[in-house]
Amino acid sequence: MDFLTAVQSNLLSPAILFFVLGVFAAVSKSDLKFPEALYATLTIYLLTAIGFKGGVAINEAGIGVVWLPALAAAALGGLIPLWTYPVLRKLGKFSVADAGGIAAHYGSVSAVTFIAATNFLKSINQPYESYASAFLAVMESPAIVVGVMLGKGALGGKFSFADAGVRHALRDAVLGKGVLLLIGVMIIGALCGKRGMASVEGFFVTPFQGVLALFLLEMGMVAGRRLGDLKKVGGFLLLFGITAPILHGSLGVLLGTWVGLSVGGSMLLGVLAGSASYIAAPAAVRLSLPEANPTYSLTAALAITFPFNITVGVPLFYELAKRLQP
Amino acid sequence: MTLHPLKLVTIICEAVLEEIVVNLLRECGAHGHTAFAVRGSGNQGERTADIMEAGNVQIEVIVKPAVAEAALERLQREVFPSYAMIAYESEVRVLRPEKF
Repeated sequence: MDFLTAVQSNLLSPAILFFVLGVFAAVSKSDLKFPEALYATLTIYLLTAIGFKGGVAINEAGIGVVWLPALAAAALGGLIPLWTYPVLRKLGKFSVADAGGIAAHYGSVSAVTFIAATNFLKSINQPYESYASAFLAVMESPAIVVGVMLGKGALGGKFSFADAGVRHALRDAVLGKGVLLLIGVMIIGALCGKRGMASVEGFFVTPFQGVLALFLLEMGMVAGRRLGDLKKVGGFLLLFGITAPILHGSLGVLLGTWVGLSVGGSMLLGVLAGSASYIAAPAAVRLSLPEANPTYSLTAALAITFPFNITVGVPLFYELAKRLQP
Repeated sequence: MTLHPLKLVTIICEAVLEEIVVNLLRECGAHGHTAFAVRGSGNQGERTADIMEAGNVQIEVIVKPAVAEAALERLQREVFPSYAMIAYESEVRVLRPEKF
């Protein structure tokens, strides 16, 4: 399959079309609105489902196979802020707090982008390491910790763990609902194995595509409501919101190939590295770096990088993974 | 029936601040609180509350006048400078003053 066919098949998947409908609903100021509790419910469902599936896959593959790529993934997440921060400071002219905040968002990951990518792989019958959700779990926190330290002025020696906001944010980064649920359910999945999967399959696997489509409809609305903020964030961040995922995504694919992942697995690591967090990072950054303007990071992550990744990024990293595979 | 005058302190702030504000109220001497998710707009933009983390929370507590003053003073000093929020007190009359 060539690149354009891959893009086309991705764009015409139910999930992406639901996302487009959501953007349209928000832009046209339709009164369509999800109850808040539903958004939270769908998030919990999606994280639980991929966590369980990942856990079962770890049980099958054995932890000996998983630890090296997982360690590489966590390291990549923690390292990304180290170069995004100076770029944002020097080229983007952002303040210390803003640069640290945005760097934390871009080093951390987006679960839905990851799920959209696994969806794409499934639709083109490309196998991948199902334990890849472990990468998602370990990539969420390191970047938040590094980004917050940079944003607090760690380079100028001003950082302190005694700061109440920092402590609160770090606790959230490590024990926040996303990480806790993913890792917790993954352990359950790993303990239960295939037999456990058989008993929950009807709930966690069969309806998954439908739930994802519904969730992306809501994500479309969330992203669409922030399109108006694009004017406020300036040209640099627009450019950053697209070049950062391409750069980090390619790096992720490279690293994935290097540690021996298959085409599908390397592509997923690329998608994770290229994605930007819009749940865990915003809350943690808001608490620990109050002087950072959340409009910058949230608009870039939600209104630029997320739509870019699920439409163009996913097939792009797939193509790259295919070419790099020895 | 005898009603006793007390102060109702209301804080509307970013949802991420809930724990911090509630802890601050407790430290000032409040015995409880009520919180609920709200949406609205202010001079720092609209808070659509579509995702919980981007929403607002309204926290209410009934306290003695001295506690209200101490809490508002600390909020102004410690939390106002960095976040989108408002806080105010109003007169209320309650039946069982020992609860507050």
